[in-house]
Amino acid sequence: MSDTEVPVAPVEPARRRVAPFVVLAVVVVLAAFFVVLATSSSGPKDKVGIVDSPLLGRVAPTVRSTTLDGVPFDLARRKGSWVVINFFNSTCGPCRAEHPELVKFSEQQQGFGDSGAELYTMLQINNDIDAVNKFFSDNGGDWPIVRDDDGTTNVAFGVALVPETFIVNPDGVVVLRWAGEIDSDMLSRLVQQQRDIYEAT
Amino acid sequence: MSSAANLKRWPGWVLLFLVVACFLAYGTAKDAGPLTPEQRVEEITKHIACPVCDGETVYESANPASAAIRAEVKAQVAAGLRSDDEIVAYVVQQFGEQTQLLPKASGFDALVWMLPAAALVCAGVGLFFAFRRWKRNADAIPDDDDRAMVEKALAAEVNLDGS
Repeated sequence: MSDTEVPVAPVEPARRRVAPFVVLAVVVVLAAFFVVLATSSSGPKDKVGIVDSPLLGRVAPTVRSTTLDGVPFDLARRKGSWVVINFFNSTCGPCRAEHPELVKFSEQQQGFGDSGAELYTMLQINNDIDAVNKFFSDNGGDWPIVRDDDGTTNVAFGVALVPETFIVNPDGVVVLRWAGEIDSDMLSRLVQQQRDIYEAT
Repeated sequence: MSSAANLKRWPGWVLLFLVVACFLAYGTAKDAGPLTPEQRVEEITKHIACPVCDGETVYESANPASAAIRAEVKAQVAAGLRSDDEIVAYVVQQFGEQTQLLPKASGFDALVWMLPAAALVCAGVGLFFAFRRWKRNADAIPDDDDRAMVEKALAAEVNLDGS
């Protein structure tokens, strides 16, 4: 070795030991984020059918309003009856498509007399009342349509997308939430299931 | 770099750090005064994501669900029974976690706050050690002046031995 040869800086072994762990940690964190994002729900948009709700098993929120006919409506006063609340907007395609099934369901329940479930339509905020009236007169449906001018009921039930349907038992407890369209047979079957559960307890 | 130059430079950095720290402390502790009900509604609805639309807050969304939430927030602010956080918590409870725009600072969600801070600290420590190593390595490589100095010393030693 000559006197003027440039010494090579020693490569520190510690550096080589730490680097793989740093890379591994970064990969693990990225993989964890990927898994969380891939498995998380994108919200209520992808839900159709029976869905969870914080209201299930609890007394239904207070609903005091009026129907389109101007009759006062208080959900608490419906205790003793099975109540089906269908959240609706006359501008919503699935709601319009679902409507004939609700007409059928209503007729089925009326066939049971006083023990049949009561059906109510709950409007969304800002729904044009004239459009709702016209839709019902064109497509049938003689059950009460309840206004929700301040949106309180929609928020209390956590309804973001219509249609949604809730079943409330005679104790005023919310027992089922259905997101999206529902047909009359399914709705009748679900009401009957809840009746059976209710009577068994 | 000489120690005199170091001494000359550090007060500038310290001064800059102090000024930034003061501004941050003042900014975070500053009381903007009581908000009007309208301002509260605006603040709250800006912290809630529209439950059915992507990338919009309840404040800006025209969706009926957002309109209902806005009306509900307004009613709750007017009633004055709940704090802003409680109102947000109520809406999140009804519509689900996806409406929570700011992640919670507890549980699994806390990782969202902790990981960037931990990454920043780790990066700072890593940079400190990296700079120190680079500086040490840089100092270990002799430049032409160093070589000239060594040659001169060696020559002087030879001359000394030879005399």
